[in-house]
Amino acid sequence: MFQNRTEALALALPAAIFAAAVFLVPVVILLSDGFRVPTGGWTISAYTDFFSNSLNQAVFLRTLRLGALVTIASAVIGYAAAFAIVSLEPGAKGKVTGLVVLPLMISPVARTYAWIVILGRTGIVNQAFQALGITEAPLRILFSETAIFIGLLQLFLPLMIISLISALENMPKDAIPAARVLGANWFQVFWKVVLPLTKEGLVIGGTLVFTGSLTAYITPAILGGSKVLMLETLLYQQVAVSNNFVAASVIAFILIVMSFAANILLKRVATARNKQRSQA
Amino acid sequence: MTLRSLFIPITLLLVIAFLIGPFLIIVAASFSAGETLAFPPQGFSLRWIAKVFTVESFRASFGMSLFLAIGGTAAALILGIPASYALSRYKLPGAEIVRTVVSAPIIVPGIIVGLALLRYIVVPFQVGITLALFLAHTALVLPYAVRVVSASLDNLRSDIEEAAVLLGSSRLGAFFRVVMPNIRGGIMSAFILGFVTSFNQVPVSLFLSGPGVRTLPVDMIAYMEIVFDPSVAALSSLLAFLSIGIVFVAERFLGFSRYV
Amino acid sequence: MTIQAMNKVILASGAALMLTVGAAEAQQKTLTISVYALAQDEYKQIVYDPFEKICGCKLVVETGNSVERLAKMEANKANPVVDMAVISMADALAASRAGLIDKVDTSKLSNFGKLYDVAKDPNKDGMSVGYTFYATSIAYRSDKMKIDSWADLLKPEYASHVAWPNVTTNQGPPALYMLGLALAKDTADLKAPIEAVGAKKAEIVTFYEKSSQLVQLMQQEEIWAAPIGRFTWAPFTKLGFPIAWAMPKEGQTGGMNVMVATKGSKNKDLALQFMDYWISTEVQTKLAEKLIDSPANKDVKLSDAIANNLTYGEETAKSLKLIPSAVALDNRAGWIKTWNEKVGQ
Repeated sequence: MFQNRTEALALALPAAIFAAAVFLVPVVILLSDGFRVPTGGWTISAYTDFFSNSLNQAVFLRTLRLGALVTIASAVIGYAAAFAIVSLEPGAKGKVTGLVVLPLMISPVARTYAWIVILGRTGIVNQAFQALGITEAPLRILFSETAIFIGLLQLFLPLMIISLISALENMPKDAIPAARVLGANWFQVFWKVVLPLTKEGLVIGGTLVFTGSLTAYITPAILGGSKVLMLETLLYQQVAVSNNFVAASVIAFILIVMSFAANILLKRVATARNKQRSQA
Repeated sequence: MTLRSLFIPITLLLVIAFLIGPFLIIVAASFSAGETLAFPPQGFSLRWIAKVFTVESFRASFGMSLFLAIGGTAAALILGIPASYALSRYKLPGAEIVRTVVSAPIIVPGIIVGLALLRYIVVPFQVGITLALFLAHTALVLPYAVRVVSASLDNLRSDIEEAAVLLGSSRLGAFFRVVMPNIRGGIMSAFILGFVTSFNQVPVSLFLSGPGVRTLPVDMIAYMEIVFDPSVAALSSLLAFLSIGIVFVAERFLGFSRYV
Repeated sequence: MTIQAMNKVILASGAALMLTVGAAEAQQKTLTISVYALAQDEYKQIVYDPFEKICGCKLVVETGNSVERLAKMEANKANPVVDMAVISMADALAASRAGLIDKVDTSKLSNFGKLYDVAKDPNKDGMSVGYTFYATSIAYRSDKMKIDSWADLLKPEYASHVAWPNVTTNQGPPALYMLGLALAKDTADLKAPIEAVGAKKAEIVTFYEKSSQLVQLMQQEEIWAAPIGRFTWAPFTKLGFPIAWAMPKEGQTGGMNVMVATKGSKNKDLALQFMDYWISTEVQTKLAEKLIDSPANKDVKLSDAIANNLTYGEETAKSLKLIPSAVALDNRAGWIKTWNEKVGQ
């Protein structure tokens, strides 16, 4: 650790000032509209009004639930995939990592359309289900909450996997064998050794996935068939159709608070394990 | 075969099929002779690929998107690398505040960012749309730049550069001679992540498009407003192959995957 | 990437930035127009390029959908960027109420007299001039169903094969309005038709936002029918299915797109010259022959094959049951609210 404060500030401030000036200040001004009384003064009535509406409550809870489900699913699948990738030999590892990153490079809109082909009544999934005798009539997967879930998971899983790969690679190589020798089962190894040592990756990946799921607009619109309202859909309606920027800033602020809360919660989950371990 | 030795190939197969499946559909559709996306594709033809090159507005917006992705990401790295170094190596007063401020762009819905910039930067200061887009894309990429570069700095033991300083090198000299060569993979992955983020950015650019200035993804969405023929798939595949080319070159020369 | 390479990239980017800014300044006489993103390559060939030659000026084009471009005009109100815009009839009224546009001086439009009467002053406020119409009706698989009324779409045997336009799209409110007529409950708040659609929510395949999606869904036989604008009709005819355009007994609805002149524009006369060119018989005929815009100019003569793909003729234009702009504007927020409660829940 270097101690020189002036040097530290000189290095860090340009980025911080830039982000504050071109990003934070304009956004804060816009968001403050939601707290302003037209005649002067401040209020949170826009927020109490928003949450007193039962439709908004339902949409809020659904957005929260879907975001949490996508994040949990991507964490579970992400750990399995990251473990598998890390255990590969170096050459194969590079190629497989490349395949995981690949979907990030395709326009999200095009990917969403591809799901229409896959999940449709005559799509690949239904054809396979019927051929295997799992279902008789085609399932209606497309244009449902399930379709949104699948679309969002595919969109954001790569972010979780790459965050976890780098976290797993930084874990001391002997941590897992050591725990096994000491008699821990695989569940204990994961909970008491792997999770605390990879918490950074989980927090970063989880925040990216959760925030991405909350603020996705095109995927719910196309794969959900607009039958499933999400907060971002309401936000878009307010901005682009009703031109009601105050109402839009209220929804945006709620989304931001949700993202922050998720970030803090993820940090808590990971650190709680850590404390237990150091006490043990 | 034990259960464990099966775990790795099966997990990888399922995850990759899930992640790559939609991409294969898009690639197949790009070479299809039919009028819509379909699997299996109806016939083979290059007409949709050819059509992409005849749509004039795609060319202009492709140039704009490329400029924003390269310029914006480079600018974000120039701001982000020193900041990451300060966060990782110095006792920085208010480190948490700096970290929060530079990562903020990730958690604000893009449509709000675009609107805020339009109303409080573009309009009051009469900033050109191109410059506004450049600033916005730089801000959007900054969080990725700081996170990825910080992560690779944290993995690099700091005693090497401390030793270099003790041996008489200047701090700056130590940074360029000792630190930079060791984190260039991290910088490369930050660049690629930033490039991809910026290149596919839609919501922010939606409001920050002005007369004659548009980004490619916004242009694609506008095009798809009325028609969705496989030319959109063809364009997406071409862009994906371009990105794969970039990653391949990066991997070849810099060992990108070691740092992702 | 080395620092040197990165420096080069940044220098190059900086140079590119300055070039873009410089190029914009070098042009003296420019007309900035704001249009729908539809068929820009054809517009460039038929309208923009020839006009640039005539006026000796440069055209700068902004594209996007009607509401987004209107939101930008609102933000740039103090210092307008665009000189003229083409938007929907209802958005033209919104722009006029918000003080964003000026009266169109029709005495300077030599082709004004050739327009259909309904296009001359759509909102009866002198602020806009119509340049194209479109009919909205139902495209459907004639081998699977028979559509005589807008209400037929909600029949139990059909509903699970129907895509309905979302209320936020341009086709949404007109389609609901026609359903209201079919149900004989046509109040301005569209309450009855929204409730009727909401009751069939589980069956209806999707509430589409992008009409481009429909061709895909029709091809996959995910849907058999959807209310669409005539301007998206052509791709359906290429799918190889028997797809028909319904003539429901309540009639067809639709919309009109109009041209407006921005308040505070410094290129008023040039903007009027451009509008005049766009509604000329020559340009309107060429746009119609490419199946891009149905004409609003009564001197345009089209072959049957072309006319069949468009919304052609003064009688047809007059027969469209359009929602009056004021009704649309005053009720828009209420429609979305009711829709969210009945359909989005």
